[in-house]
Amino acid sequence: MSVPTEHLLGLAAILFAIGMAGFLTRRNLIVVLMSIELMLNAANLTLVAGARMHSKVDELSLAGPILAIFVIAVAAVEAAVGLALVIALYRRKQTVSLDAVSELRD
Amino acid sequence: MADLLFYLMAALATVAGVGVVVARSPVISVVSLLASFGALAVIYLLAGYQFLAAIQILVYGGAVMVLFLFTVMLLNLGDPDVTSGQTEPLFHGSRRSLIGLCTATVMGAAGLVAVLRVAWNEMPSVLAIPEGGLDPLDQLAAQMFTRYSLPFEAASVLLLATAVGVLVIAKRNRPGEKAFPSRAVAAEAAPTAPAAPQPASKPLPEPGPEPEEVLS
Amino acid sequence: MNSLWLIPALPFVGSVVCGILHALTLKARKANPEAHGPSALAGFVAMGAIGAACVFALQAFFAIRGDTTSVVSDPWAWIPIDGTNTANVAMLVDRLSGAMALVVTGVGLLIHVYASSYMKGDPGYAKFFAYLNLFVAMMLILILSSSLVGTFVGWEGVGLCSYLLIGFWYDKQDGWPAVAGQKAFVMNRIGDASFLLGMFLLFTQLGVGFDYSAINEAAASRAGGADNGMLALAALLLFGGACGKSAQLPLSTWLPDAMAGPTPVSALIHAATMVTSGIYLVIRLNPLYAMAPDVMYVIAVVGALTAFFAASSALVQRDLKGVLAYSTVSQLGYMFLALGTGAWVAALFHVITHAFFKALLFLGAGSVIHGMHEEQDMHKMGGLRRHMPRTFATFIAGAAALSGLPLLSGFFSKDEILAQVFLQGGPMYLLWGLGVVTAMLTAFYTWRMVALTFFGPERFDVDRVHPHESPPLMTVPLMILAVLSVIGGVMGLPHVVGHLFHVPHYLHDWLEPVTRAGDQILHRGPAPHLADSTEWLLLGFASLIAFAMAHRGFHTHKHGLIGEETMQAKHPAAAGVLSKAWGLDEAYQKAIVAPFKLLAVFIAVVIDQLGIDGAVNAVGRSAQAAGTKLKRFSDGSIAGYGLWMGAGAAVLALVLTWMGA
Repeated sequence: MSVPTEHLLGLAAILFAIGMAGFLTRRNLIVVLMSIELMLNAANLTLVAGARMHSKVDELSLAGPILAIFVIAVAAVEAAVGLALVIALYRRKQTVSLDAVSELRD
Repeated sequence: MADLLFYLMAALATVAGVGVVVARSPVISVVSLLASFGALAVIYLLAGYQFLAAIQILVYGGAVMVLFLFTVMLLNLGDPDVTSGQTEPLFHGSRRSLIGLCTATVMGAAGLVAVLRVAWNEMPSVLAIPEGGLDPLDQLAAQMFTRYSLPFEAASVLLLATAVGVLVIAKRNRPGEKAFPSRAVAAEAAPTAPAAPQPASKPLPEPGPEPEEVLS
Repeated sequence: MNSLWLIPALPFVGSVVCGILHALTLKARKANPEAHGPSALAGFVAMGAIGAACVFALQAFFAIRGDTTSVVSDPWAWIPIDGTNTANVAMLVDRLSGAMALVVTGVGLLIHVYASSYMKGDPGYAKFFAYLNLFVAMMLILILSSSLVGTFVGWEGVGLCSYLLIGFWYDKQDGWPAVAGQKAFVMNRIGDASFLLGMFLLFTQLGVGFDYSAINEAAASRAGGADNGMLALAALLLFGGACGKSAQLPLSTWLPDAMAGPTPVSALIHAATMVTSGIYLVIRLNPLYAMAPDVMYVIAVVGALTAFFAASSALVQRDLKGVLAYSTVSQLGYMFLALGTGAWVAALFHVITHAFFKALLFLGAGSVIHGMHEEQDMHKMGGLRRHMPRTFATFIAGAAALSGLPLLSGFFSKDEILAQVFLQGGPMYLLWGLGVVTAMLTAFYTWRMVALTFFGPERFDVDRVHPHESPPLMTVPLMILAVLSVIGGVMGLPHVVGHLFHVPHYLHDWLEPVTRAGDQILHRGPAPHLADSTEWLLLGFASLIAFAMAHRGFHTHKHGLIGEETMQAKHPAAAGVLSKAWGLDEAYQKAIVAPFKLLAVFIAVVIDQLGIDGAVNAVGRSAQAAGTKLKRFSDGSIAGYGLWMGAGAAVLALVLTWMGA
């Protein structure tokens, strides 16, 4: 594949913006969590692009993919905790809407 | 050929990403996200990151997305009309949504401008993908367990803590048990009738499987 | 000789033990409010501690006869000041401190014995002895320290104990004793500040540290030299400290109020020991004062004025202890008058005899008050000699000594002071005249007190009050003190009388090593003597006025209150002024306390409440207002938080892009 790095990074920027838009506009908590996953993936894509750019045949840049793996692990953790919170919220309020949770105000 | 595939997958990832955000049904969002992740996995593969692509499919497609889907199904959110009886607005109020959209646009534009501003032609040229890919497993593992062993251990501790934390958060309160996480509910329920079911909780169809089980 | 440390240490240990006993008593009282606990032991502990200290003081006293004039313990380097100077503390027993220590422990022991009976049944019995023992320990430190620093520790310590003991009955008489204690403490603080300043000035001027021997030597070496003004100022400041502790004008007002404390306290602290520490200090530093004649004049004038002022105030007091309090101030004035003329020996002589007879009078007054069920007003006494014969007899001995009736101790000591003043001549004749008038007043008020208390009709409610003699534990110390009051003069017989019996002036010879340096500066040769005839004349004159005024005072008042009422009717203004002690207290109230309170109110309201509190409140209010404005950003909506976070990130991204990072 001879796609230049900037195209990978541009795709990452677009995906990040889409995720951010979802994060900022959607009311459904599950969709918000998914938007966050989308943003994390965009970040991963930049890591991959950077690693690919800096790799040479005899000297591979592995920090990028390793960091991406850690990001995936953390994203999984985040999803698990977030969804557990969604379930707890649903138990109390029968809804997954962000509008329903404003207890932090007090 | 590979380049064409990349742009195809890029378009797919973008369209699916938009689908995630705009879909009315959470189920469609989940499936769109799954498609987006799959497209990204292909891009990783095209870029030479085979192991990463496998992880992407395994962890994201196999575990995280199943977890999402499971939660949606569990809470019976597939059809919003069924749960609430009326159509709730998908987005926040128009003003807030507009601001959010603008913010996201600014963010994306900033990213794109940053990409464009860099003098990429001075950067090293794209290399041909070697046989083992750009993330050969042996080198990756060697790095992971030597140079990055501390973050690795930290990640494992994080996973363990998450397993316990999720168990506690999502645990179903049985009658008579102390309610969690809300202290307010406990304070209301405990003195009057400890045996009474939680006033605000609708019993789930069946005890939900713990999310971390899916993870592991 | 390190056993010298034991002299102050023993009472200190006694004090700690008594304090523990008091704590145990309080614990026992928690269970049973009537319980006495182990507090009865405290009297024995305290007496044992003082007795043991007395024995060690005697041992030290016998060690300094003959050629040895002083013994000193190993010094303890307390505060290193600079390369050469260190503030040492050591126990020094010389001719002066040995005598004082004997008086303190001896009279202290008698008063402890007395108090063990007097304070019986008081809920704070053990506490009382803890304070009293602590006082003795501090007094001994004051006296025995070989340096000004050590003396200052004792100086502050006795001030503290005085405060504690004056306010001992802080919950009685509407809290008056507590107020009196505070007054004493504050007045003493003024003097103490002066003491400290004098000490520092002395250090900077002489630069030889704080040891008395070094200070005296350095001061003597600068005698007669020019440019000694600052040294004189240091001496004056130290005398200011002495004024506070010894209740001299203008810091005299606390001592009459100090009578709010239990009577043994008045006897021990406010008559026999603590109030004489000012005299002790001046004698101790006699070369320093001898080389500052102007300061000596000030001391003499202050002493004479105080003596007259207090004696005249004592004339009209109705409170039995009040008379004795003013009398004490007056006698202290005599002592300072003596010091002002360089009569160190006469001053110490009067300190010792005064300790005997004034302690006796106070303890006798305590016995009377005890027998009269806590009545102190002499107008409500009378005819008590039939009810308390032993108290009466000893009280008469004390009164005779105080009023200077011939051959008693007070006669000789007071006469020596007056003779020394007379000897100075010149303007000192004025002070001598004042001293003679004071002696007349003293004889008058003393016998007025005796007459009102023990003679005349019984003016108390016979049905309610049954005066009774005090138990032997109280009367035996009275008798011992009475004997000492009578024969105490033997230690310092006047020149002419001594010649008759071939008896020297014991005290003069005894104290000679201490006062030698000062005397040499003052006289530059043998001390001048009065001619024998003059001396006889003065003795006769003193006897005459003592007898005459005693007779006058006694007979005016022996028939009850007639004398008092005539006095009131004839000179109402004078009686009013005198009963208020020349209005000094009120003047202080108006001139110092009231403006000070005004200032305090000003600071409290304007500076504190408006200024400081205002600033603090303004800060608080502005934070509150800012919070009110800002709280809508924190509305609990997760989407809102997310929006702000996203906006922040976008701005950051813009900035980074702009900078080309």
